Amino acid sequence: MAEPASLPKPTRIAPPGVSRPVTRRWALLPTYIVLTALLVFAVGPLLVSWVSAFKTSQQIIYEPFALPSPWTLENLDKAWNVGRFGRYIWNSVLISVGAVVGTVVVATLAGYAFARLRFLGRGLLMLLLLLGLTIPISAIIIPLYLTMRDVHLLDTQWSVVVAHVAIGVPIFTFMMRGFFRGLPRELDDAARVDGSGELRVFWSVMLPLVRPGVLTIALLEFLWSWNSLLLPLVFLTRDELRTLPVGLLFFQGRASVDWGPMSAGVMIIALPIVALFLIFQRRFVHGLTGGAVKG
Amino acid sequence: MRQRASSPFRIRASLTAYGFVGLALLLWGFFVLRPTIEVFFLSLYRWDGIAPIRTWVGLDNFAKLAADPIFWKALGNNLAWLAMVVTFNVSLGLVTAALLAQKIRGRLFFQAGYFLPVVQAGIVVALTWRWIYNPDGLLNESLDLVGLSDFTRGWLGDRSLALPALALATGWAGFGLAVVIFLAGMQGIDRELYDAAAMDGANGRQAFRHVTVPGLRNVFTVVLLLEVIGAFQAFDVIWGTTQGGPLHATEVLATYMFKKGIAEGQYGYGSAIAVVFMVIVLVVAVISIAVRERGEPADG
Repeated sequence: MAEPASLPKPTRIAPPGVSRPVTRRWALLPTYIVLTALLVFAVGPLLVSWVSAFKTSQQIIYEPFALPSPWTLENLDKAWNVGRFGRYIWNSVLISVGAVVGTVVVATLAGYAFARLRFLGRGLLMLLLLLGLTIPISAIIIPLYLTMRDVHLLDTQWSVVVAHVAIGVPIFTFMMRGFFRGLPRELDDAARVDGSGELRVFWSVMLPLVRPGVLTIALLEFLWSWNSLLLPLVFLTRDELRTLPVGLLFFQGRASVDWGPMSAGVMIIALPIVALFLIFQRRFVHGLTGGAVKG
Repeated sequence: MRQRASSPFRIRASLTAYGFVGLALLLWGFFVLRPTIEVFFLSLYRWDGIAPIRTWVGLDNFAKLAADPIFWKALGNNLAWLAMVVTFNVSLGLVTAALLAQKIRGRLFFQAGYFLPVVQAGIVVALTWRWIYNPDGLLNESLDLVGLSDFTRGWLGDRSLALPALALATGWAGFGLAVVIFLAGMQGIDRELYDAAAMDGANGRQAFRHVTVPGLRNVFTVVLLLEVIGAFQAFDVIWGTTQGGPLHATEVLATYMFKKGIAEGQYGYGSAIAVVFMVIVLVVAVISIAVRERGEPADG
């Protein structure tokens, strides 16, 4: 907890005669100290675990904070070959790319219709999807599992892809609707007056203008499907179909004390997400809080 | 009159629109809405999923739940979990956001750092913290370094500490989101209110209490909703570490449902557990949406 002195001082009006820059610089020193401590708390565990991926399992235990000496690729090699992470990466990529493509197609079409087209039952369907936003997915995992079994998708990657796309429909439809509504109405009206069909208006006029929105939902769907544990855990029972998170879960069971290869596995899962986050930070933050904070 | 004149056109326009929304609605209806309804029906049967006949047992599964000490333990753990994670995320998120709301150099850098754990997979959070809490892990090593060796222990093997320890891991992975949401809320508060408070002689703390906190009322609702839904769905971090142990000390509804419903194939009983936490989440969600809609005009 921060001491009272570090709470915000929103008073921006300095009394006359006081040299403001100097006082302010020193006044903020405790703030920087607390913020830096919080930064260490947030990022420290991740950094230590990534560094550990290049240490021997013994050094991880005896010198957890030290830099690797010697640097070793043994853990990555072990994770790749013994842990079969090469296979799991391929499965994860396949499922995530499938989920992203499916989501983009489904949500842009639906979002456009809800934003621009008038049709019977639109209000009712919107309300239904709004309620759908609140359905806790882990609560429907049993009937969802039975559904996948009945349509013979169990133990295929399709089950996870289809489930992710379906689960994302409410949130991503709402997000795309928001992006389409942000475009000036004159644009598509003009295209319609020119005699373009609805599909053409959507494809050649509107879609190119919401590319930032498409990128946002693609990133979020990638994040969620890449990180997801429960769905692939329940739907995929054969080892050669497992995704990275599920593979790591079972690898943990098999090698309960071998922290070296484990750190390598953790790093492999985190790497693409961290890279995307560093490139598209604003989009991630905005997307993940977009439903929460308006604007 | 005008409506009737345009109605053939309207029907055609509607058909086009249904083409646009059809795929989304079919997928969602079949794979989300239908299972949501079905889970309520399943909870009224005893069924192993394989036998062609489901045995109708009415509310027996719920009677069994009411007499199941592990269920009550799991529900209690969920509530304790919720209290701990909410307290942690709201207080730390609020304080951090308040600090960042000042004229800070490198605000985006700090914010990115706090947010980095938010985008990590549940299994990554689980394994990172399992290693921290391990008997020869980071935490005990740190305690040794500062001379507090007496406090070292196997954190996740301790029945009274395992749940708070995992709640802390979850708070670590979530407070960055609260920081960003609170910060956005604070930046939306009218500066003049602070100037007015300063003129009335309020110090920083008083201004925080009487201007910042009331100005964040809607934001609080949002954060609380996210936390409640998240807390009752807690699964990944627990499944990746203790799987509900030791002796159900970290059992929550989602892990217990997974064990009964998926691992043991008791679809009826598992569904009854699912119904309980579905109802809790839906009630909370509907209440907080109602509160929120009343707080601000609906977007038209």
